[in-house]
Amino acid sequence: MEQVDAGGSTTTVAASTSGESGLDPIARVRKLLFRQMLVGIKDGRFFLGSFHCIDKQGNIILQDTVEYRSIRRSSPSPTEQRCLGMILIPASCRTSCHVDCSIEEQLSLIQLKE
Amino acid sequence: MQSVREEESSSIDQEPRSCGDNSVWAHVSPLLSAACSDLNECELIHGDNFNLFAAMSALEIMDPKMDSGMVSTFYSIDEAIESGFAPVPISSDRTVDVQCIIDIMDHLLACEATWHMGHSLAQTVFSCIYVLRPERTSSHALLHSFCRVIRATCRALVSVVSDARTNELRACKATSSKRRVFEARRKANDFVFVVCRMMQNWNLYKLIRNWKRAFAKLCYAGYVFHFLHALNCMRRPQGRGLELARKHIAYCIAELESVLSSVEFLSLETVENGKNEMEESTTGSGRHPIGFDPNLNKRLSAPTPPRAIKLLSWKKVGTSKFSAIDYYVKLLHNLDQICAFKLEPDLDAVLQFVVQFQKSRPDLVARAHLQLLLVQDGKLYGRDTFLTICARSLALDVTKNHGLHLNEYILQLNQLMINLLKILCANTPWQRRKLGKILNDWSIFNVQMGITVGHMMQQVTTPRTPKNGDKSALILNHIYGWLEEQIHWVALRFLVLGFDLKLYSPSEYCMVYWYMYIILWKLAEKAHFRVLIIVHTEEQKAKKKEDYSRDMAREDRISLWVLLLKCQTSLAQGLTVMIAALRNEGMCLKSQGPFNTENEKFVQHFGLLQKASLPKYDAYESFSESTCHARLDYLPVYECFRDAQKMAKEIKVGYANDPDKLAEVVGLEQVAEHNIIAVNLLCQDRCLKVSFEFIHHPHFATAVVRRS
Repeated sequence: MEQVDAGGSTTTVAASTSGESGLDPIARVRKLLFRQMLVGIKDGRFFLGSFHCIDKQGNIILQDTVEYRSIRRSSPSPTEQRCLGMILIPASCRTSCHVDCSIEEQLSLIQLKE
Repeated sequence: MQSVREEESSSIDQEPRSCGDNSVWAHVSPLLSAACSDLNECELIHGDNFNLFAAMSALEIMDPKMDSGMVSTFYSIDEAIESGFAPVPISSDRTVDVQCIIDIMDHLLACEATWHMGHSLAQTVFSCIYVLRPERTSSHALLHSFCRVIRATCRALVSVVSDARTNELRACKATSSKRRVFEARRKANDFVFVVCRMMQNWNLYKLIRNWKRAFAKLCYAGYVFHFLHALNCMRRPQGRGLELARKHIAYCIAELESVLSSVEFLSLETVENGKNEMEESTTGSGRHPIGFDPNLNKRLSAPTPPRAIKLLSWKKVGTSKFSAIDYYVKLLHNLDQICAFKLEPDLDAVLQFVVQFQKSRPDLVARAHLQLLLVQDGKLYGRDTFLTICARSLALDVTKNHGLHLNEYILQLNQLMINLLKILCANTPWQRRKLGKILNDWSIFNVQMGITVGHMMQQVTTPRTPKNGDKSALILNHIYGWLEEQIHWVALRFLVLGFDLKLYSPSEYCMVYWYMYIILWKLAEKAHFRVLIIVHTEEQKAKKKEDYSRDMAREDRISLWVLLLKCQTSLAQGLTVMIAALRNEGMCLKSQGPFNTENEKFVQHFGLLQKASLPKYDAYESFSESTCHARLDYLPVYECFRDAQKMAKEIKVGYANDPDKLAEVVGLEQVAEHNIIAVNLLCQDRCLKVSFEFIHHPHFATAVVRRS
């Protein structure tokens, strides 16, 4: 698994992670709880917080969240950030969702997409 | 590797790891959506430290009132206009311009429907910059007049709804005046005029190339024109414009169908958008309309959630449940139903009509119109006082007793009747709550009137009093009896609405039917008493005048109504005994839970009725005494279901000309029939499983018997 490289890795990964991708999606999402999650929303902001909860409709609750936004006018740093605590992100305005994980895990997640 | 990760993630105290050298950001949206579709309704994925109350206080992102940091494209209307977000004209190409205008019309229609459904005006119709700043569009005749029509329609509807005093519509400001409706009509006429003039100006070549678009515009013009004329006609006092309103409504429905038929052409051009987007789309063509930004007015949104709104889609495609066009078709049919109502000065007929009308769950606009029609200037339809109506339902003549209409009780009764009619036009949950509350007012009034009328009647029996006084005391006495009937009718409506709102659990059906039985029995008795009074007075009148023609139709109608009540009484009694027997034999769920005792549940459901002394004795004690001895063996002895079936057969003949009533009676008959069979089966085999379902009638349950 350490020798994963950019090309021709798919087959190796499929073999090594077949056990994990065999789990049902709910169990796999449960394993993501408490991880750092990065959620992008419609108006262009990003939220980074620890994954707390998700419901049937896909609304997500994050804890200890930091909001990142790009600033329109010229400023020393390109983004601005502020701490928000616990937030609820409705499914309707979520555009992207990423979880902090090791490379192996990422590849097992790719499995699902295929 | 796998097991280690499991241990790691299952521990709550795990430190959030930053995205270091060995880790990456993995895209998890597909996994999340797969998990969400696997989850059951109301299920959550959460850790051990999850607390629902804490989660409720989470800051909701993209909620205009909670999320102060929302990034908007524009922070003011002027900024949006300056950056060319809503250009006038929309395009220099005439064809594109017209296409865009049709999209705007479609979207505004969807916005208006969403507003009618209870969302704020600021987030729906006034998300359109063209509507917000009508003066900008003055150079563009078509857009200008359409925006003015939309503004005028909104004003007219706000005035109708605020006149009806139902505070369900969320508006920027509610000012009421009849002028608004007339203003709206004038603007609709202007709009039609503009469309027609533009049609004439186009040369033939362009007309042929654009005829479908021109057609779509014409249909809109026709729709807007007739809709506003219909609203205007319905506002005429004493229902004088209803005939004309019906014609306009029929035109409206036809125009809407034509608008729909133009869609196929318009959407052909945007096939590349894909079907999924079409489902959500608020325009017929599937394109996004120009000049709309719902966030512009976000600070104006209502102080209570939900503030994030979803507009109705324009047309029903595939799986979407309800569309703006569906909404308008339903609204127009409901308005048509109101216009078709013969304004009979008969309270029974009015109450029956309102109940029937509410069955289709009409929306606010239709209900507000009904209320305005029924109660105008404190009179029914703005022409009949409630004294004449009460007297009519008792076949009494009150024209000679001039003092009576100033009688304190009659004035109070007038007010009670107005309130009752207004409440009956409200939405179902509100209606039930208010009915429960006014029952108390009615019963206090009933007691007061009972004392006074009792005194008056004693004086009447002594021979010294003048004759005219006799007469008015007699009338008051009859009205007192009629009042008791109305109180029981209100109580019955209160109980029945509980079924519509799904407030009763199957374990509570026994007490609900017991209560319905008590109320129905009393109501039938009072109604029967009224029939006797009517027959008596009519006979006397016939004796006095040789040529007097008795109103036999009315007598028949009330007798039929009494019979229907008796039929329902038998059914309610049958169901009570049957469910009680099943409970006593342990074949059906007992109403015992860990939280509330049966007595507490009883008080929760019927506390308001008991407060209004319906019935006058301790209801719970009576209920438990009358049901504790019921046994399956005795069930066939009670012939309640058979009686109900027999009566239903008789009533069916009487209601042959009234399809709504007939359908209800047929439902009652089927309930009786199926329950007879169920009782027989249950007596033979005690191992059968029973459940109660509302397959034949919305309020009377049918027992469904299964072997396992």
